[in-house]
Amino acid sequence: MEGSNYTLFDLSYLDLAIGLALILIVAGLSRWQQLKLEGELVIAAARTCLQLLAVGYILKYIFTLNHPFLIILVIVVMIVVASRTVKGRQKKQTRELSYLVGFAMTVGSGISLFIATQIMLQIKPWYEPHYLIPLAGMVIGNSMNGATLAVERIDSEIEARKMEIEAYLALGATAKQAAGKCIRAAMKAAMIPTINSMMVVGIVSLPGMMTGQILSGTSPIIAFKYQIIIMYMIAFSVAVILHR
Amino acid sequence: MNNPKIELLNVQKTRNGTVILKEINLKFISGKRHILLGPSGAGKTTLLRLLNRMDDPSSGEIFYDENNIKNIPILELRRKVGMVFQIPVTFEGTVKDNLMVPYRLGVISGNADENELEKALELSGLQTEYLGRKASELSVGEKQRLNVARALLNKPEVLLLDEPTSALDSESANKLLHSVKELNEVLGLTVIMVTHQLENARLFGGKIIHIANGTVVREGEEEGFFLNSLSSNMS
Ligand SMILES: Nc1ncnc2c1ncn2[C@@H]1O[C@H](COP(=O)(O)OP(=O)(O)OP(=O)(O)O)[C@@H](O)[C@H]1O
Ligand SMILES: [Mg+2]
Repeated sequence: MEGSNYTLFDLSYLDLAIGLALILIVAGLSRWQQLKLEGELVIAAARTCLQLLAVGYILKYIFTLNHPFLIILVIVVMIVVASRTVKGRQKKQTRELSYLVGFAMTVGSGISLFIATQIMLQIKPWYEPHYLIPLAGMVIGNSMNGATLAVERIDSEIEARKMEIEAYLALGATAKQAAGKCIRAAMKAAMIPTINSMMVVGIVSLPGMMTGQILSGTSPIIAFKYQIIIMYMIAFSVAVILHR
Repeated sequence: MNNPKIELLNVQKTRNGTVILKEINLKFISGKRHILLGPSGAGKTTLLRLLNRMDDPSSGEIFYDENNIKNIPILELRRKVGMVFQIPVTFEGTVKDNLMVPYRLGVISGNADENELEKALELSGLQTEYLGRKASELSVGEKQRLNVARALLNKPEVLLLDEPTSALDSESANKLLHSVKELNEVLGLTVIMVTHQLENARLFGGKIIHIANGTVVREGEEEGFFLNSLSSNMS
């Protein structure tokens, strides 16, 4: 392996406290500039710390147990939380939307995860959590963002084009025909961030996973291949979710 | 031919807990002109929108040719019951593109026939030279005529008009009313028009249905309708 004399340094809790000091400085600045963000900032910082700590320990436990049922359960929880988050973004909140998004996410992420882990990487055992869980997290997280954008955009488009939609309906158009333009606009809006990040990846931004792999001593070339797979998976899942 | 084309039985509409229409019992006669007359907020638009199922009543039944409209496929109902809104809606492109929409949607099968388009335009009071004009650049009155023409292409049996003249000056308003009146007389179309202006009702003629506070307060033929209201006011 390249970088053979490379060691990954552990962080002590004292180091985390130093990080926290940075947040306190930002909070101080916010107070000074009267941005009134300091309350939220402190809560957000505390939540980041607690949530990640909890997840870190849960993942460690899951990795040790290494049971397929538990790993699938983690992915299911991710999908449920993600679809509920998308629903929360919709003005007229409906239960169906949550199910619909959940279903689309299961199909979209499911297919791309299957292709990546079983056909490309061929991980053994098939549920190897070191691969499955972070990959699922990234794909589901990005699908969630795509779906959120789509839902928000559909709401605002329908609002703006209400009269046009009603005119189509009154002429005997189906709901799908009448809202066709809105649906297309929403799908485009949702794909744009994914396409943008594929355009500039590595130039403007170094993605989190690639950074993480390089930090932990993986060859940048391997990290790059993984990243490509991930980006394509995300594009695919976002596209699937938009087509419901 | 005195069959009711559309009949409402004890129709009620509530929105967010408030009653907007109550105990509406009405018959719209086949081939006749009808006017829904009443002050702003009376519930005229709400009532009209129930007739092509843009909305559904909270209770009560509506019949079309003696069939409950819930049992008629909604797209078929909307083809038979055309609607023109208060504010005209134009789609992208030329007047011709707009008139092609019913074909493009597949509401009318087969290819667009130029003759049909021209006929619909003329019936609505627009010359055929308008076909190539950009729809968004028409005057409001012309747009409203385009909306009528577009609705006619579906060969509807009933035409619903929601204050089609409200955005027009009185001269173009009179012209439009005249055109719609002719549609009724020439094509035998059943017409239901909403207005809050007495003069429009007078000019248009037909059966007048007076609506106030979400209910029908009086109905009758145009001849005599205003006379009666005068005498009842005096007594
Ligand atoms: N979506 C809605 N939600 C709640 N109330 C509504 C809604 N639409 C209409 N209303 C109320 O119902 C009543 C009747 O409205 P409607 O639009 O049918 O009146 P209208 O007779 O057509 O009046 P106008 O002549 O001003 O067009 C009004 O008081 C209106 O505020
Ligand atoms: Mg109205």
